[in-house]
Amino acid sequence: MSTALKSRLAAAGSALRERDVDGTTLLLAACFVPMLAFFVVVWVIPIVYALGMSLFASPVRNPEFVGLGNYAALLGDGAFWGFLWNSVVYAVATTGLSLVIGLGLALVINQRIRGGDALRTLMIFPYLLPTLVVIFMWKFILDPNIGILNQFLVDAGLIDKPIAFFSTLEFAMPAVVVTSVWKFASFAFFILLARLQAIDPDLYERARVEGATTWQAFRDITFPHLRGAILIILLVRGIWMFNKFDIIYLSTRGGPLQQTTTLPIRVYQLAFSEVNFGMATALAGVMFFLLAGVAVVYFRAFAPEKEVA
Amino acid sequence: MATSIHLDTVRKEFRTLGNTHVAVDDLSLDIPEGSFTTFVGPSGCGKTTTLRMLAGLETPTSGTVSFGDEDVTDLPPQERNVSMVFQSIALYPHMSVRENIGYGLKIHGVPKAERDERIDEAAAVLQIEAQLEKMPAELSGGQQQRVALGGAFVQDPDVLLLDEPMSDLDAKLKSDLRVEIQRLHQELDTTVVYVTHDQTEAMTMSDQVVLLRDGELAQVDPPKQLFDYPNSEYVAQFIGMPSTNVVDCAVEAGDGGTALVGPGFELSLPAGVEAPTSDRVRLGIRPQYLDVGSDGACRLSVDVEVVETLGTESVVHGRLEDGTPFDVVSDAVDDAVAGDRLDVSFDLADAFVFGEDGETILFGSERAGERSSSPAGAGGVTP
Amino acid sequence: MATSAGRGLVSHDTQKRLQRIAVYLTALLISVFTIIPVYVMVVIAIQSPATTFAGGRVNLLPTEPSLRNFLVLLGSTDTVRYFVNSLVVTLGSTVLSTTIAVAAGYGLTRFDFTGKSLAARAVLFSYMFSPIVLAIPLYVVFSTLGLLNSHFALTLALTAISAPFCIWLMWQYFQTVPIALEESAWVRGASRWRTVRDVVLPVARPGYISAAIFAFAVAWNDFTMARVVMSRDEMYTITVGASLFLDRVSIGWGETMAVSLLISIPPFLIALFLQRYLLQGFSVGGLE
Repeated sequence: MSTALKSRLAAAGSALRERDVDGTTLLLAACFVPMLAFFVVVWVIPIVYALGMSLFASPVRNPEFVGLGNYAALLGDGAFWGFLWNSVVYAVATTGLSLVIGLGLALVINQRIRGGDALRTLMIFPYLLPTLVVIFMWKFILDPNIGILNQFLVDAGLIDKPIAFFSTLEFAMPAVVVTSVWKFASFAFFILLARLQAIDPDLYERARVEGATTWQAFRDITFPHLRGAILIILLVRGIWMFNKFDIIYLSTRGGPLQQTTTLPIRVYQLAFSEVNFGMATALAGVMFFLLAGVAVVYFRAFAPEKEVA
Repeated sequence: MATSIHLDTVRKEFRTLGNTHVAVDDLSLDIPEGSFTTFVGPSGCGKTTTLRMLAGLETPTSGTVSFGDEDVTDLPPQERNVSMVFQSIALYPHMSVRENIGYGLKIHGVPKAERDERIDEAAAVLQIEAQLEKMPAELSGGQQQRVALGGAFVQDPDVLLLDEPMSDLDAKLKSDLRVEIQRLHQELDTTVVYVTHDQTEAMTMSDQVVLLRDGELAQVDPPKQLFDYPNSEYVAQFIGMPSTNVVDCAVEAGDGGTALVGPGFELSLPAGVEAPTSDRVRLGIRPQYLDVGSDGACRLSVDVEVVETLGTESVVHGRLEDGTPFDVVSDAVDDAVAGDRLDVSFDLADAFVFGEDGETILFGSERAGERSSSPAGAGGVTP
Repeated sequence: MATSAGRGLVSHDTQKRLQRIAVYLTALLISVFTIIPVYVMVVIAIQSPATTFAGGRVNLLPTEPSLRNFLVLLGSTDTVRYFVNSLVVTLGSTVLSTTIAVAAGYGLTRFDFTGKSLAARAVLFSYMFSPIVLAIPLYVVFSTLGLLNSHFALTLALTAISAPFCIWLMWQYFQTVPIALEESAWVRGASRWRTVRDVVLPVARPGYISAAIFAFAVAWNDFTMARVVMSRDEMYTITVGASLFLDRVSIGWGETMAVSLLISIPPFLIALFLQRYLLQGFSVGGLE
């Protein structure tokens, strides 16, 4: 991308130089050079370098070219598909629940209820609170020894003995999902609220005059206006959750028994626990191409670049 | 110091996605110094592009623009002593009214005391003294427009450019500001170039009207001349409200000379008028030049569809027998209703004859002195 | 609507009232779900563990507020150093990211060149990109260059994840700024640079405050990049440093919640005072 863009910019620049009396060319450079330099340094070079590395076995000590060997080993390992499955489950569950909660709350606050502004401010916290803090809160609440949820459940007679949510096979994934939803539901909420508030109130007035019920107004006015935003949330939030590392790493490190090991966790393990950079970069490469594939679908379906160009 | 402006075969092309769009097509034009010149035409005719080339915001693809004797074609806006009022008003939202008006002076290093004096003066002329310390967002649309005007003329420009400055205002404010702008023009030593799509503004304010069509010059003349002597069907229809009626006619040679035959009427051309060379022409007659009744030289019948009453006179919208739309402005049709058939007549002296290419081939009034009717709303403006 | 009065089991008014109750109930449930964890954090942070865990149960009604947890943090951990590290890289990457974004956003809207939609796709693609997938290549490059464990490297890494969205935001923002404002300044004699200073930057302020908030939030939040780039204890940011607290015998829930409370202060201030800029950012997509 960058070289093609650069040559085009050069062309644009020379067209402008014809009448460059007040530093227009310099301004052009000041606008684009930082961005291009930055993209080349932190995106293009590292990614190309890492993709190159993924073609070598143990590239740090004594690199041995293995071609696509790392990729073959990776995809041939049954565990990979398990981790991929975990990623999908985690992404679908967190994105879906976040959307439901965010949409519900956005509709509620759009009703202009009393205390709506305060509730909106409150919803900023989960989004802005660092992931680590969120993990601490939920680790405490779900703690088997002193956690208040266990205390409550035991007191209410719902369970006999406390549950170690984050380290029990059947509860680990749900616990991570709940923690994630707590943090990320407000993302969907704010985006949907912005869309809701952009709907022309006259449309509802007209629907009322024409005799539409609340449900019909929602179906025929609200939902069509939200559909684009909902699809984008599902897609973009879905991608981000699929690639989420910190929240899972900090809550379970991928355990118990790799029950919550998703692809991002696996990349980290390969690189820093097993110090196998050939395999780690190969997995990062696989994730890169997965992402690129989804991005192509996204660009085809939504043409988001139309918003600016 | 006001300056004259000369455009010599100025051309502006825009290229988008491989398509070349000619916005201004080899336009040559002289604008006298100190004049009030209006560019008018439908949207997309190239009037704003031309204005922007005068400002230096666009560079012509070819041709030259000069101010007086100086070639300014490639000069950037900063190096021309012009001021411009934008269609969007373009006040700086973060500056007070005073700072907005004085920004150009500040750029030119005018000391603060003198700046303030000139700003106060401008504000007094525009009656916005009370708003000087407010922010633009606190002003009404009309006040914002005055601030924009103030910012433009406080710099004492050689050329003052106005790009549809009133398009967002309501009718009352428009007529107030129209007077204001003409008063400013009289007081200032500056050449004013005004762009509008509203022919009423063009006709009422200007010394000279430039009518453009698809980037080409249709006609440039003083308003009255433009109204009375349109050089094409396009000009005749664009200038004047309601539009000039245009009727297809056949040219037939008869015993008493040449005659124009249209739907429901036959009009013999008097001796001495050169007969059209083609066998089809279009006859143009302004709605204001029609008389109700049948005592005029040329008679025809109109089927009334809609009658608009405008106080002292009425506008009748109707059709000729072959369906050609035909309007009549008269103070004698108060009782006409839809479905009536109205007999009207006109004098050949008031008519235009257009050739097949749309050029005017005959002005009836070239036979001066023969005009009998005195048109209501001469100058083309319906009150 | 008028016909619904006689229909169904409940009257129109009752329907409305039930709907109203449902709305408030939803709001209440979500509020409680959101508030409880925050409340628990605050309470445990501001009372001593002895009070919190008195009687073998968690006591969540604060009776004896105390600064004991904070004093332990200051006395026996490197919390202060971690905070300094966090501030350095967060401020650095906020400034870097916002600067790049303002320049790029302005250039992308004000200069014409073909391939703009390609540039937009590149920005959007990097915006969707996964931090961990970028962290591995960055680690490899930084380690080759010997830049690991430096504020500089982490600042770059954090900017890498925040800049794409900031660019996107400024790009969209500058589209709403009419070019006539600048043209008006040029006609009055201001050079392009002077126009940028006098007109563009002041007018773009709400945009770049918004961009800066997102850049700040990303960097302050970050765990992934810091974990990968910084391996020496004295270079840890507060999120990485504090994440290891629970593994230590000497540090309990009291101190953990106390440090959480401290980390939460900047986001808290943003939510309180800069909310509208944050909401503006969400109207063009929000971030991670």
